[in-house]
Amino acid sequence: MGELFDIFNYAVGIRALIASMLVGAMCGVLGCFIVLRNMSLIGDALSHAVLPGVVVGFIIAGSGALAIFTGAVFAGLLAAVFMTWIQHNVKTKNDAAIGIVFTAMFSVGVMAISKVSRDGAHLDLDHFLFGNVLGLSDTDLYLTGFITIYVLLSVVLFYRYLFATTFQPVIAETMGISVKTVHYFLMLLLSFAVVASLQAVGVILVVAMLITPAATALLLSNRLKFVLVISGLVGVLSAVLGLILAAYFDTTPGPAMVLMATLFYLLAVFFAPGKGLLFKYLHRRKNKAKIQFEDTLKQALKLHERNNLSLPSLIDRLGFNAATVKRHLSTLKQRGLVIVNQNEIQLTDDGHAAANKLVRAHRLWETFLVKNLGLTEEQIHEEAEKYEHILTEEHLDELEADMDYPANDPHGSPIPQKQVESANALSKLSIHQKAKIDPLQINEYLVSRLWKLGIGPDDEFEVTAQDESSIQIKLEDEGQLIYIPKSLATKVNVSSLN
Amino acid sequence: MNSSISIKGLSVSYDRKTVLSNIYLDIQPGQLYGVLGPNGAGKSTLFKSILGLIDINSGRIEINGKTIKEQRKQMVYIPQRGEVDWQFPATVMDVVLMGRYPFKKIFQRLNAEDRKIAMDSLEMMGISQFKDRQIGELSGGQQQRVFLARAICQQADIFLFDEPFVGVDITTEQKIIQILQKLAADGKTLLVVHHDLSTVRDYFDQVILLNQRLVVVGDTKTTFTEENISKAYGGQLPILHKTAIHK
Repeated sequence: MGELFDIFNYAVGIRALIASMLVGAMCGVLGCFIVLRNMSLIGDALSHAVLPGVVVGFIIAGSGALAIFTGAVFAGLLAAVFMTWIQHNVKTKNDAAIGIVFTAMFSVGVMAISKVSRDGAHLDLDHFLFGNVLGLSDTDLYLTGFITIYVLLSVVLFYRYLFATTFQPVIAETMGISVKTVHYFLMLLLSFAVVASLQAVGVILVVAMLITPAATALLLSNRLKFVLVISGLVGVLSAVLGLILAAYFDTTPGPAMVLMATLFYLLAVFFAPGKGLLFKYLHRRKNKAKIQFEDTLKQALKLHERNNLSLPSLIDRLGFNAATVKRHLSTLKQRGLVIVNQNEIQLTDDGHAAANKLVRAHRLWETFLVKNLGLTEEQIHEEAEKYEHILTEEHLDELEADMDYPANDPHGSPIPQKQVESANALSKLSIHQKAKIDPLQINEYLVSRLWKLGIGPDDEFEVTAQDESSIQIKLEDEGQLIYIPKSLATKVNVSSLN
Repeated sequence: MNSSISIKGLSVSYDRKTVLSNIYLDIQPGQLYGVLGPNGAGKSTLFKSILGLIDINSGRIEINGKTIKEQRKQMVYIPQRGEVDWQFPATVMDVVLMGRYPFKKIFQRLNAEDRKIAMDSLEMMGISQFKDRQIGELSGGQQQRVFLARAICQQADIFLFDEPFVGVDITTEQKIIQILQKLAADGKTLLVVHHDLSTVRDYFDQVILLNQRLVVVGDTKTTFTEENISKAYGGQLPILHKTAIHK
């Protein structure tokens, strides 16, 4: 601990704290665009590439903060131009081009620094590599403050342009936004941020301050504005806590800040609502329980149909342990789906209906797999066992309409029908009878199915022929003949005209 | 001629490979055009040329009698669903509001009126209840409607659609085609890249058959014939029901 522990009593400590917070906020916000544009490597590259600029600035103007800053930004932009030039004009892969440019520039920087410092100048390579937040001067702090305000203000003022070019560059271009200009502007801001961060975390670790808070925020929110704010906050917190950590353990602040940011990232990875691993685990567990529950209900129905429904037979059939089965049974009982009396189980009417929904899902999906995907009967059962728990009522209604309301599954078992045959069904018309399609049908999917066949609401038609599988109708308007499968015709509401 | 898009002698090539060769087209407002042709026929390149996104080798394109640059804000492009990053942290409203960007000066902010126009567009597409959802949380059909809502919000004259019916359900397809027909009736210009030959006759007033060269352009009834289709598609003719053509 020692001298670093009470750094906050001194101007040095206060300067370090303020500078770190500024850097955390600026890198956090800017980093979101870097991550979303898949430019993490470019962030790393720019931070390394500024080094020769720093040395040149130092040689020309001495250790003045502004000279070093100008040199660094110039080097950063030069690197961006080199990279883009190679990517457009030479057949080298994008990331390879980035790697070549920044390692070369970094090497020049390292060689120059060691040469200059050996010649007696006060320029410490370590400070550039890992930061020297405690060595900040007032001028450094003002410069960092100025840069932070400039960068954050730019993000606010040009938010629209950054959002559009990051999300859909081609569309942005068609709207008259110059994607190239925005790209170079972002590179400029990135160079600013990198240079301002050099003192706090150093060349090697700047990229962490750019991408780790941003990646954390992206796990926590789905709205870009919130992502920017959260990322900035995570950046600030990481910087402050890192500085405290470093003070406490009397070690280097830069890496401590990076570790704090990593810690926040890990917390988000595990505990983020929606996208976190814990959430996903709980969700999976809940899902598994739901599947077991539904299986219990479905098997109860199957056993009931064979007059063999009892607690032992159900446990035997399901193959999971007795306690689990009893637990699901008591839930079923609470919901009024079964009546349990010792070993005797009876399905209530609601229970029947609920179990039939699952059977319907299973058999409709099997039918779909055979009819529309061409799988064989042997391939479909396992699939349907999975999907019967996933498919929603809405999906099933659509699927059913799309397949013209099949009566049986591929194994020949009846598919439980959701809607009973309508009293005014098209199938009840006899030959030469005229009618019109009722605008009110059982659901929108049936309307769509008819539309696909070329039949709209209120269309008038005459039944022209019939056989076992289909009905032929003739539309009044266009005189067009359309075949309608019988199974579909039983669901179509019509109103008779004669 | 008061054509809204006039293309004269357009040729485009990438890496010495010719993609479009000597295309002449006059696109009229108030009509729904289907752009058809096999893979690699240059349909996307045609769109990119009209939008001014690529350099053309030769030829001239005029939009409403002016240059592309002058008329850029009058054109909207609706990309294929596959080209969109659906994980992006953007809500439905964020995306639709993009349609207002071309109306804004550089530092001008979006205001209540912009939001109202965006909201009206969402309501027109029947997805206003999803305005705060992240775009990846919607179904394929709803996602396509978001981009259509943005296009409407942009109040442009010329609409370029790249396969709007890919990956959407039939209900949405129906809804989209109704909207397109309405836009055409309002005097807008609409070009739609389309693959499903069986629906061409129902959907489009005019067809453009393309295969690097312009095979034919004209009224669907007289132009969309088996002869012209096989000219455009050559050996690549996809499985299609002859009834769909002769109907």
